[in-house]
Amino acid sequence: MTTSTRRSHLVRLVGLAAASAFIAVACGGNDPSAVTTSSAAPATTAAPTDSSAPDTTTGGPDTTAAPETTAPAPEPKPGGSIVVALDNESAGFNPTNDPWSNGGHNVAKAIFDSLATYDAEGKVVPYLAESITPSEDSTVWTITLRPGVSFHNGEPFNADAVRINFEASLASPVAKDQLSLISSLEVLDELTLQVNMSQPWGTFMTKLVGEAGSQVGYMAAPAMLASPDGNRNPIGTGPFVFQEWVPDDRLVVVRNEQYWQRPAYLEQITFRPFPDSTARQAAFDAGDVDAYYTGDPADLVDYLAQDEAGEVNVTLGSPAGPDMIMFNTTVPPLDDARVRRALVMAIEVERLFAYSNGVGVKQPIYAPYATDSFWYVETDYPRYDLEGAKALIDEYVAETGNPVEFDFAGGPDPFVVGYQELIQSMWAEAGATASIVSRAQADNIGKVINGEYEVTLWGNMGGGDPDNDYQYFRSGTGLNFSRYTSPVIDAAMDAGRATGDAEERKKQYAIVQEELAKAMPYGWLGTNKLGIVARADLLGISDFTLPDGTPGQPMTSGHFFLKDAWLNV
Amino acid sequence: MRILAVRFVRLVAVLLAVTFASFAMVSLLPGDIVTALLGERATPEDQQAVREELRLDDPIPVRYVRWLGDAVQGDLGTSYRTGQPVAESLSQRVGVTLELVVLSQVVALSLAVPMAIAGALRPGSFLDRSLSGVQLGLLALPGYLLALGLIAIFAVRLGWFDTGGYVPLRDDPLGNLRSMALPAFALGLEQVAMYARVLRSDLIATFDQQFIWLARAKGNPTHRIVTRHALRPASLGTITLAGITLGRLIGGAVLIETIFALPGLGRFTIDSINNRDYMALQGAVVVATVGFVIVNVAVDLLHSVLDPRIRSAARPT
Repeated sequence: MTTSTRRSHLVRLVGLAAASAFIAVACGGNDPSAVTTSSAAPATTAAPTDSSAPDTTTGGPDTTAAPETTAPAPEPKPGGSIVVALDNESAGFNPTNDPWSNGGHNVAKAIFDSLATYDAEGKVVPYLAESITPSEDSTVWTITLRPGVSFHNGEPFNADAVRINFEASLASPVAKDQLSLISSLEVLDELTLQVNMSQPWGTFMTKLVGEAGSQVGYMAAPAMLASPDGNRNPIGTGPFVFQEWVPDDRLVVVRNEQYWQRPAYLEQITFRPFPDSTARQAAFDAGDVDAYYTGDPADLVDYLAQDEAGEVNVTLGSPAGPDMIMFNTTVPPLDDARVRRALVMAIEVERLFAYSNGVGVKQPIYAPYATDSFWYVETDYPRYDLEGAKALIDEYVAETGNPVEFDFAGGPDPFVVGYQELIQSMWAEAGATASIVSRAQADNIGKVINGEYEVTLWGNMGGGDPDNDYQYFRSGTGLNFSRYTSPVIDAAMDAGRATGDAEERKKQYAIVQEELAKAMPYGWLGTNKLGIVARADLLGISDFTLPDGTPGQPMTSGHFFLKDAWLNV
Repeated sequence: MRILAVRFVRLVAVLLAVTFASFAMVSLLPGDIVTALLGERATPEDQQAVREELRLDDPIPVRYVRWLGDAVQGDLGTSYRTGQPVAESLSQRVGVTLELVVLSQVVALSLAVPMAIAGALRPGSFLDRSLSGVQLGLLALPGYLLALGLIAIFAVRLGWFDTGGYVPLRDDPLGNLRSMALPAFALGLEQVAMYARVLRSDLIATFDQQFIWLARAKGNPTHRIVTRHALRPASLGTITLAGITLGRLIGGAVLIETIFALPGLGRFTIDSINNRDYMALQGAVVVATVGFVIVNVAVDLLHSVLDPRIRSAARPT
């Protein structure tokens, strides 16, 4: 891509600087991650392939249509180096102990391999492992490994290495919840590990795909895990070997010539963190960066238009975790489901989309899962209805004699505050008074964990496999931040994780969605999209293949593989 | 020698006060390192266990004294978040920030001094008013917009410089200049107005001094009067200002480092504050404080060199 072929972003660089903030990141979640896992993917061992097809494509916003072929595809060729921009820096690269954002996962996917990943239909399949099979009741899982695989430092990748990785995760407060049902590990032979569960766990394999919430699936060399500075010198089995890391500046990886699959095409990748989104985009436009991922709707709309003109390559991923608000259901007036319902009914999401330049990219959402997700079921989750909202609030006020007043927390970013003010004005129209409270992210997370909030913007829920939300939706986990408890939801969440049967799981999560729509502990405000923007001659990002040569899912939640990427120069 | 000893004692006092203040302030901020370390998926029990392991429940003075005890032995500790020794992190970053700060001051003074002289020679003239307008424009322009504007024009449109990232000087001197040019200009242009305004005022006042009239009466040309007679005494205020600015920027040109993706002390400091990483922050504060004090001592010494009256006043009689 040359400078002359790029659309200038000069005006947007300056004018939209503030608007580049990301609601979910800025206000909600703690870490690192603004998103959880890929959404449309049912991610089970027996998922259907129709509605669960991954929402991934190259070439435009139509995420289901196959790309048109106008010329024979060029043959990939090895060689070349690229620079990939990340949105933030990681504290370290130990998969068992460093919670990663998108940036960390993208580096990890170059250095480490995960035991499992998604195939093109969104089904979880073994990747670094040769097979991962459950017993009939899903209480015992057997992981069989491929022979002849080594870590970059020469250590053999064997059953003992997997055991050491799992044990390190189980000892880590950051990662142990991802493997919480493991009761013991038994090395049966060099290449076979038996994983015993404390109760049936049909969705165990979804925890091994290497994403936010399943980071434990990445396999690190035992020597790295044992080393005090291992997190700064990552060693995996992946397509690229770690070479150098200067925090906040660059992390360099080079091709793994001994890779257990076909070696990657690219010789070297330099990952550079650009914390400022406008500067990141400018670096791409200037040609200093060859690829980056973005969740900024305005960016995506803009680059998709350039993609159609052949000036860039855009690969869209499946929807990430949705924008949302969360109610503390234990404090008045939010302990009344009518009030919660009224507040959601009063929000006109299209106005929020316009505010965040998301028209055409963001979609309304009526559950934790997008309407085109395999998991979504229609419920009586309310739609925008100002008169209905007013009536419910009037009813509450008449009955209790108390006004509907509460604090509405969010991040201090001016963009987020503006977003809150828009919602505040909609609530005022319905007769509710919200006082905006701006808190630093760490502070807000602490308040939410301790139940010291009333209403907050939030993120990190929904969008992915429903079992990822187990800790949030089920009572008694310590992480049920809305404090809404329901024996019906508890039973369904337990049943959903006990089986690997997709249809049965869908039934259970339908129950959860119906209950949530009745109780309204959360308000879902719209989907998020993430996409990779790459220079026009950087090809192959969307061609991620599995070890057997069949297509895999190249991007989930902004995490993408670069082993099949190549430069057409 | 005595002066240096006094300075050293003052430095120690300042260091103690500043490091305790920063320690206390970060400790009193809402939220703590444990949330940043563990994320939201860790249960309150896990959080408490880590809090106890890191001894974060100890009173602030106890934790400060513990840190101080290690620091005086040369051990600045290890970052809670990254596990990297703080001294190692700082050594990777100080050079970047120092280079940025020094280059930015070179840019600022290179523009401000000629502007100030031109304005002071003909106060109120069209040139003086035009230069004042330019200076006020630079002063009013937010640094963020200035930086993005420079990127848009000189990196994206013209492709002359890098948009971001850092190339070490020893690896590639030319690449280093390409990577540091825009950040140095973005930071330096912000200071131009301040320096130019102060120097212009001081020059105008100096031009009215008797020794300048004498020099003029002797028939010295203007350029000689400015460079040989006026600039030196008039520059004391500007040098003091430059010293304060330099010291302040060592603490972190956070905004510029963030926009240009430079791995400097500013980003390190702000990351440490955001993650409540006390250990890392304390190290950054020590470097910034020592840098500030050293620069100010250097400025005082420079004053003595530039103005013999200060030297003689300091000499015991």
